[in-house]
Amino acid sequence: MELIHLAFYLGLIIFLVIVFAKAIKIATAPVHLRWELYPVAHEKGKAHYGGSYLEEFEWWTKPLQKNLLGEVWTMFQEIVFLKGVWEHNRSLWFGSAPFHYALYLYVVFTILTLLSLIFGLTPTIEGFSNHSIIKFLNVLLWISSIFGIIGAIVLFLKRIFDSNLKLYSNASHYFNILLIGALYVTSFIWLLSSENTIQEIFGFYLGVFSFSQIPSLPIVGYIHFYLLSFFLFYLPFTHMTHFFMKYFTYHKVRWDDEPNLPGSKFRKKLMEQLNFPVQWSAPHIGADGTKTWLIIASSPLPTKEKKNG
Amino acid sequence: MAEKRKIKITDISNPNLQPLVEVAPTNTIELPPPYDKLEDLPGFKKLSEATRQSVDDSLDGVVAIGVPKPKTPEEEQELVEKFISGLIKLFSKENNWTFLQPLVLTMEHCAKCQTCSEECPIFEASGYEEIYRPTYRAEILRRLYFKYVKPGSPLLKKFQVGDIDLNWTLISRLVELAYRCTICRRCAQACPIGIDNGLITHELRKLFSQEMGIAAKEIHDKGTVQHLLVGSSTGMTPEVVKDNVSFIDEDLSERLGIKVESKWDIEGADYLVLHNAGEFLSWPENPAAFAILLDAAGIKWTYSSELLGYDGVNYGVWYDDFQFSRIAMRHFEIAKKLGVKGIIMGECGHESKSMAIIAERIFGNEIKTINTMSLIEHIVFSGKIKFDPERNNFPVTLHDPCNIVRLMGIVQPQRRVLRFLAPKFREMEPHGVENYCCGGGSGFAVMTPYNFLDWRIHISGRKKFKQILDAFKDEPPGPEVPKYVCAPCSNCKGQIRDILDYYGAKEKSGIYYGGLVELVVNAMADLKEPFIDFSMM
Repeated sequence: MELIHLAFYLGLIIFLVIVFAKAIKIATAPVHLRWELYPVAHEKGKAHYGGSYLEEFEWWTKPLQKNLLGEVWTMFQEIVFLKGVWEHNRSLWFGSAPFHYALYLYVVFTILTLLSLIFGLTPTIEGFSNHSIIKFLNVLLWISSIFGIIGAIVLFLKRIFDSNLKLYSNASHYFNILLIGALYVTSFIWLLSSENTIQEIFGFYLGVFSFSQIPSLPIVGYIHFYLLSFFLFYLPFTHMTHFFMKYFTYHKVRWDDEPNLPGSKFRKKLMEQLNFPVQWSAPHIGADGTKTWLIIASSPLPTKEKKNG
Repeated sequence: MAEKRKIKITDISNPNLQPLVEVAPTNTIELPPPYDKLEDLPGFKKLSEATRQSVDDSLDGVVAIGVPKPKTPEEEQELVEKFISGLIKLFSKENNWTFLQPLVLTMEHCAKCQTCSEECPIFEASGYEEIYRPTYRAEILRRLYFKYVKPGSPLLKKFQVGDIDLNWTLISRLVELAYRCTICRRCAQACPIGIDNGLITHELRKLFSQEMGIAAKEIHDKGTVQHLLVGSSTGMTPEVVKDNVSFIDEDLSERLGIKVESKWDIEGADYLVLHNAGEFLSWPENPAAFAILLDAAGIKWTYSSELLGYDGVNYGVWYDDFQFSRIAMRHFEIAKKLGVKGIIMGECGHESKSMAIIAERIFGNEIKTINTMSLIEHIVFSGKIKFDPERNNFPVTLHDPCNIVRLMGIVQPQRRVLRFLAPKFREMEPHGVENYCCGGGSGFAVMTPYNFLDWRIHISGRKKFKQILDAFKDEPPGPEVPKYVCAPCSNCKGQIRDILDYYGAKEKSGIYYGGLVELVVNAMADLKEPFIDFSMM
């Protein structure tokens, strides 16, 4: 086993474990109070103008209708077209879009590579280089690399020269862009310098996933996979986890309009939360570390506050 | 105007910058004549030296809260420690389960792309003053959260989000900064990731109130505390409110030639009507119009004379979860005791959102809440009342209260009513869920301390004033044609009143404002006299 094996395994395991742990932690967070923001994409027949079921007189007498396709379509536009950035921050879109498209294409490239391996397309088989999938993967990696480099350059320059972004950019922002940019630069150089890049990448994944030796790679290939391993290791600790947290910001906050009807799935959890002990110190709260939310909410104002009031 | 000082995030802790920024009226949002000349307007009121000595104005020279300055270094240190303790509680599930999930999501996943910035009318109206950028206060809280709450290596955390010095200067400025955002959440609407910087304002206010006992006097001492003790944030006791309502009924009955009769504590009524009690004092024609309309529609309704039973406001929603819950719980208890089917919420945005959305999540749906917009639409199109839309034959535009529209999704009922009953109705641009806040949201409309009123007219309210003027641009510009801004929310009406008064817009342009129900009653064919009398507005 080589060092690159270990680096890749470590990166992948940390990525999977931390992403999973973070997702579980946020998914099991307490039920929060409603804080939806319209348009709510699943409002059937109303989402296009931002309407809700609350528009209906005595809405509880009518069935609540959800259009889940509306959610899918909204997320699709957001992910694929970066609609929000296009509409509200056009100049950034020209950097953000290629940057994100490059990532999407790279993910697709990797998934297709792994699927091809699973279905028996290995570098040793005859006619490998001329296989249409390999040609397609080659194009994908070219586009991804070019988009990634363009996106990284534009975003890096924006962070440096755009006063709106500069003030809020920390060392990690520059580092993140450089790291991701370096991934694409290495894949780009690899594509330029070798005629067998895809074959070599197949060899790498075959080696790491079959726990066997990896055929020799050009130096740029090693750099690329060390960078990728580090990126996998590093990503879960950054704000870039928005790639999956977006599910929660949209579905569990912005679009959470579920009424508290008898039998609501969160009712039991809510009752538990109302019995949490409260520690806030301001006198008007009247907390002592043992009184619960419900007791405080159903108690009159503490005496001291009455005198002040 | 003085050239703007370029500030860094960390400058908020720098006590040598006094103030951190200097805010003055700007022309970033240009108004049409005769409101276009900044030099014709008085600037921000200068604070007296005595005031500046006693309260902190070091953020922007404006004072909304008036945080007293600590007298000794020990006192200062104590306050800093209290802040840290509150910060930790803000991120604990026991103390802040109410908003923990969205708060953590916002703290940890903002890409700082500034896609939200342009959506903030306060940032724009201030001439893009950095401290008002939606991400600025969020960035301060984020750095504090990483430094004092989130586990991990300090070096790594500095690398991730940067550093910040926590001292009293920062805290006192952050208190004021938590009252420079109306929580309209336009910024959140624009965020592609789903980050909510409006929520940060809300959570900061909670930290200050729930841990340090610091809040705007108008929304705490004179607001929720007075509400819970006296019965209403207006200070009206049950006896006083009954007297006032009786006077309103008599006055309207005499003027309109019909019997206007409010009902109190009626057993067997279907609905408890809960207005923002400010209506009884400032816009009595609004509850009167409700009484006329509900009676005409044959709805069995009643007011309650129990403490809190006649004031539907809940200022807690802007700054304190516990004050909020106490008031909401009391409202539901009163309704339950009366045995009504539900509560009809008056034309008040934060009341509607508080009861129908936020309290509903805690207390359930046993007591139904009826929002005014859908109720009025239901009545108007029920066929029970005959209308003559020609009675509303004057230009009308609609202000969308953030709480009702962007935050509840109630968009079309009021429009269908206006399209039917107001022949000269036109929209503001943008409108619906993309509306602009009136500038008085999150309690600002009732806040006038020190020079804060100047700020909310010039900065938070300017965009709305421009929208109003633009909506009537095709009408004769003078006062000869009365123009009606329909603002179905008490707080929005308060803010719009202050803006129109400040600019003299009634006298110069004939711009009036009122609710939706007044327009509906004005169009009732059976009324002998018009309900809306511009000469009395």
